[in-house]
Amino acid sequence: MSKVYFSTWNGELINNVGKPEEEWEESAYNLPAQYDSHRESKAFIGWDGVSLFNADVDVIRLAMEYAAQYQEYSEACGRCAPGRWGGRILYDQLDKIARGEGNIADLDHLREIGKSMQLTSKCEIGKTVPNPIIDLMNHFEDEFLDCINNQKPSKHYNESVGYIAKITAPCTDACPAHVDIPAYIEGVRDLKLEDSLKATRQTMPLAHVCGRVCPHPCEDACRRTNLDAPIAIMELKRIGSDYETDHGFGFFHPMKKAKSIGKKVAVIGAGPAGLTTAYYLAADGVEVDVYEELPVLGGEVAVGVPEYRMPIDKYNQDIECVRDMGVNFITNSKINADDMRRFETEYDATMVATGTRISKKIRCDNERPEIEGYWSAIEMLDQINLWEKYGIGKRVDLTGKTLVCVGGGFTSMDVVRCAIRANAKKVYMIYRRDEKTIIGNTTYDEYHEAVEEGVEFLFHSAVDKMIDEGDVLKSLLVDKYELVPDPDGGRPQLLKIEGESYMIETDYLIPAVSQDADLSLLPPEWSIEMTSWATIKTNGKDYMTSRKGIFASGDCEYGPMTIVNAVGQAKRAASVMTRYLQTGEISLSDDEIMEDHLRKLRVYDKKEKVSGWLPGVPRAKSAVLSVDERKYNNKEVNFGFSQEEAISEAERCMRCYYIAMIAT
Amino acid sequence: MINFVINNIPVIAQKGESILQVARREGIYIPTMCYLAKTTPNASCRMCSVEAKGVDGFVLSCNTPPIEGLEVTTDSDALYKERQNIMKLYNVNHPLQCGVCDKSGECELQNKTLEFSVAEQSFAAKEQKRKKKQWGVLSYDPYLCILCEKCTAVCNEVVGAEALYIKPGGYKSAIDNDYAQCIQCGECIAVCPVGAMASSDFKYNSNAWELKKVPSACAHCSSACSLNYEVKHVGVGAHESEKIIYRVTNEHDHDSLCGAGRFGFDFENRVTAKDEKAFSNVLKAFEYAKTIRFSSMITNEEAYILQKLKEKHGYRLINDEARAYQKFIQAYSLACGNSLYSANLDLISKSDYAVTLGCSISSDNPMVRFALAQAVKRNKAYVAMMHPIEDESIRNIVSQHFKHEVGSEEGLLAMLCECFVNVEGKKEHQDFFDSLDGGYISGESSIGEEEFELLAGKKNRKKAPVLILGADLYAHPRAENIAKMAGVLDRYSDFSVLIIPSDTNTLGVSLICELDEEALSPVIAYNAFGDTVLSALGEGDLDMPALNQQEGTFTSIDKKVVPLNAALPYQGYELSDISNKLGVKCVNVIDFTSKLPHEKGYKAIAFDDLPNYYLNSGIQVRGYLLDAKEVKEEISLEEISDIKEFNGTVIYSCNPNMQFNLFTDKAEIIVDKALLKGSKQFAQAAKIKGGENVEFMLDGKLLSRKFQIDNKLKGMIAYNANFDLGQRSSLYRYQQIQLERVQ
Repeated sequence: MSKVYFSTWNGELINNVGKPEEEWEESAYNLPAQYDSHRESKAFIGWDGVSLFNADVDVIRLAMEYAAQYQEYSEACGRCAPGRWGGRILYDQLDKIARGEGNIADLDHLREIGKSMQLTSKCEIGKTVPNPIIDLMNHFEDEFLDCINNQKPSKHYNESVGYIAKITAPCTDACPAHVDIPAYIEGVRDLKLEDSLKATRQTMPLAHVCGRVCPHPCEDACRRTNLDAPIAIMELKRIGSDYETDHGFGFFHPMKKAKSIGKKVAVIGAGPAGLTTAYYLAADGVEVDVYEELPVLGGEVAVGVPEYRMPIDKYNQDIECVRDMGVNFITNSKINADDMRRFETEYDATMVATGTRISKKIRCDNERPEIEGYWSAIEMLDQINLWEKYGIGKRVDLTGKTLVCVGGGFTSMDVVRCAIRANAKKVYMIYRRDEKTIIGNTTYDEYHEAVEEGVEFLFHSAVDKMIDEGDVLKSLLVDKYELVPDPDGGRPQLLKIEGESYMIETDYLIPAVSQDADLSLLPPEWSIEMTSWATIKTNGKDYMTSRKGIFASGDCEYGPMTIVNAVGQAKRAASVMTRYLQTGEISLSDDEIMEDHLRKLRVYDKKEKVSGWLPGVPRAKSAVLSVDERKYNNKEVNFGFSQEEAISEAERCMRCYYIAMIAT
Repeated sequence: MINFVINNIPVIAQKGESILQVARREGIYIPTMCYLAKTTPNASCRMCSVEAKGVDGFVLSCNTPPIEGLEVTTDSDALYKERQNIMKLYNVNHPLQCGVCDKSGECELQNKTLEFSVAEQSFAAKEQKRKKKQWGVLSYDPYLCILCEKCTAVCNEVVGAEALYIKPGGYKSAIDNDYAQCIQCGECIAVCPVGAMASSDFKYNSNAWELKKVPSACAHCSSACSLNYEVKHVGVGAHESEKIIYRVTNEHDHDSLCGAGRFGFDFENRVTAKDEKAFSNVLKAFEYAKTIRFSSMITNEEAYILQKLKEKHGYRLINDEARAYQKFIQAYSLACGNSLYSANLDLISKSDYAVTLGCSISSDNPMVRFALAQAVKRNKAYVAMMHPIEDESIRNIVSQHFKHEVGSEEGLLAMLCECFVNVEGKKEHQDFFDSLDGGYISGESSIGEEEFELLAGKKNRKKAPVLILGADLYAHPRAENIAKMAGVLDRYSDFSVLIIPSDTNTLGVSLICELDEEALSPVIAYNAFGDTVLSALGEGDLDMPALNQQEGTFTSIDKKVVPLNAALPYQGYELSDISNKLGVKCVNVIDFTSKLPHEKGYKAIAFDDLPNYYLNSGIQVRGYLLDAKEVKEEISLEEISDIKEFNGTVIYSCNPNMQFNLFTDKAEIIVDKALLKGSKQFAQAAKIKGGENVEFMLDGKLLSRKFQIDNKLKGMIAYNANFDLGQRSSLYRYQQIQLERVQ
């Protein structure tokens, strides 16, 4: 709910013109009435309408400035006839009226050009820029006519007003790393794969990884869904990185490394968050040392995600890209509290990005880690991956063994599929809820590939008790549950079905329900604030902990979450840290403030009706290894798109760029 | 296959076809400004929007595939109005200088402005300061540019140069050029729908509508690309025959040309009268001559005449370059069982895995380069270049460069056979494969066995592999065995093989002529060296018409017989005048077109019956394809011979990318000089500096060259241009030389 003077946002019409302020009707949307802690917004204007927060806004200039932003921000655009020339005419005509030199015919021109842009522009930016302008012309016609008839400038034409604009897209908004998705898809479509990769790397250095194993929340916010099916956004990402790798080019960095600013940062952990922080800090001219506990770089994605899903030679390309920016890595180096105290003097800031590497208990009876056969998912995957990917340690051989995994998320899928590849006799997955939920937690493909490979899923089940003989696991007592719908419409409740419990004989029980963070490296006297989930607390915007100069990002801050979430946090944190290193202040850039406002408002509207596109053009699907080809080895399962598939998929993208602007 | 309807006409789309492609194929008109058939759609003009039943708003036809049962309407009042509005927008501030614009008369903006009845500029915007540019052969006027992106698309996708790009900035957007990457092919000029991207040479020279198009085939390399010489009479008072070629154009929507083809057109031999004395002297020379030496810059019909003269008078026919190629193809044919190689340019552009051996991709044959670029861009093809010299300029085309020692090509091809020949082939040639010493070849060639494993691994799941062989191999000391291995690979694997003909009509000559090894004096030379010289360059004992002054045919790299038409008149004597006197009779040289040897695959089709046009779908219908003949004989492969070391100063015969021969050198726009180019490293080792003149012996002749350091080059081998040396030599392209500095 927001207090507004006037708003047409999202089809809503709130018109408090002429009403006393206490009688103002409120908007149902989370409109950015307060720009930041010390600035109020005067107006918000965007693809979907316009909101005025007070009566004094110069609507003509607002329209003109919005059209001007289209000129400023048309880097992404200016690439179709209606957008390029139409956008310029909108601006010129509005400026003419605002200067006090307009005439009535200019209004007709604006409407005519606006309509053509709406109908024929290449991307949504061109289609939507006329929307709020025409809204203003319709609802504030008097003000326009006043300027025209009296040939006078609009009311605040010559005053200085802050206009802050941001370009976004539903997918970009939904992506935690805010990747410029339409740009990298356009790069594929135009067969400019270097441009594609650079677009990704502006905010996401792990293009190989997030082109393969990202749960792609962006696809849930893809406007194409309103028409038929979402674009295969994730898979199009790897086209650029595969191109770079396949041709053995040097790394295509989107920015030039800045000159040294004479500051040093320690990053603890070389997983996605650590790598991302390091990359962008190094690009900003900061000297970065990354400390990694394991003998290998990459964190959980290296030792957790199996080779068949995320080939290490591809991930190493992402890591080398980070190194290429001038990052220094120190492996086999577990950081303790003493190190942290030392770092505080040796470095200008520290980033804690240590992830969550302790498997949580499943909370059944007799759950004692000393029982042989009780093996945490993290430890099991560490051992498998260190051997399979690096030849470190020893091979896991499960020949003749039965394995039960308790989980339901990505990690548990990795456990069971790795167990199949380690030649286990029988592999069970125990999950409390149903098939639909497990697919929702992971992906359709992931689940079906596991089923095809022979994993038996036991739904609506939970382990009640571990049964051992002399501390050797023998079997499990498993309870059956049913899902009872919540009459209030909430998540269905799980109720145990009495009398249906059963026994499974097994050699292993792998808990893979979730993980905790190991934060013993934080000196206790720092009293760093924690969340109720026992993770490091920040405000979720600038990622500084309660101790100045100590930052945290990724799973150790958020709790076990996705790679892309860690990347998004770490990218933001790097930007905050660079400013902190230079000024000693914690601040957000206008771009970041706008990013947060838009995220709150939400860019994607699943009810919007999409026009101007032919529905029913099928989503491309890439080829995968057949079950027999992949079941007992670590070959990458997904081949990625052929170029033909990639181009046709990219051509489905509607380029839903939008401009939002706030007047302060 | 998808059934749908356009304007109530039932049509069928193939997989991957857009609505616009189907419409064009079926002859249904949809207006476009930015659509270029040979690239992926830019979708910038929005003119091709159509209505689809049941769909709100317009649908873009260029990049939307149809769905089953769709009903499309390509024209309506609403569509007309929006298209008209787009044309109004295109005309915002567009300079009204058609009178002095080169594009006038063939300008898409002019045409569509007329078509959509835009009578005046109804909108204007504050104009930006824009800078005109000249990049060598291309001149760019941003005021005229409509940013359709055809030029950037063609540069990126078809040429693979990636030089042109959009400098974004909304209304300020313009095209820019990463000039170091630009290969001056002029494809951008050809595809520009307005006058923005113009030929620096053609600018302000002629009105388009005064030019007459003469369709022909490019004479500079074996691709023999389809082109139009555009000619005009020189002016009032001049003789009717005095015409000039003003420019070269082509069917740019579907086909391409390189810079030599587009700009190297003024190589005609201007002869206005018959020199009877010279003619009779030459006829006298023929009485005593024992040998005719000639180059492959010759039509099939002329080659046929020479062969008939040989048969009738016993002349020896000498063309070392074609003979090497001929022997290579013969050995290859015996091994693969087919008279012709299996690949063509189209197959290369559609391939997804390509290995090149023995050719300089960036300069030997531009269309092979273009085809590889397209394969990389469109099919994600893996391109392995096996060559001793690194080539930075095609880094984006080549996936992996296998840098090998000079001379080791035979071993490398053997290793390719080891990787890719199937079980049946291995059984057939068991002794050969048993004798293969991978360790030795790896050691001597500098390409490790693990690199071959990588190469073989990259072929997994690839569906259309090709092997491209070039001129380094034909004169290789082990050419015959190399050719046989290529034949074996063709026969016993899924590879298609392309053997690039080394000169324009090398393939034709090698099929039509029985060539001899050694010349006997006296020698009559046709565009070559000899005691009596017939020359189209105008420097010999008797003038001959150049290839833009002749009718006839070439046999192209695509194994097609393609027609040439005379763009310019020629008043002197031609080869047929000589042959008529020597008993090989014809009225016109093209009387022989239908008589070309049928046993070699030529067909009894008369010159005038050779088709030369394009279908709406873009398919080129031009000349005919040679019949490939089955070859019965079997061969046995020889063991790989020891690899000779190449030490000291080594040069590689290789031309700058626009130069091919003395005819391109004659062309005014093509300015590349014949130089010796090497890396800094080479200069240091050879103790010479950039800009110095050097001399060295090559093929028994003393050659003088200016040396230039090229920062793009690496390694110890220098490029030596040979376009200015007359007929191509049959020497292995790498030679050890002694450099002498001259003051």
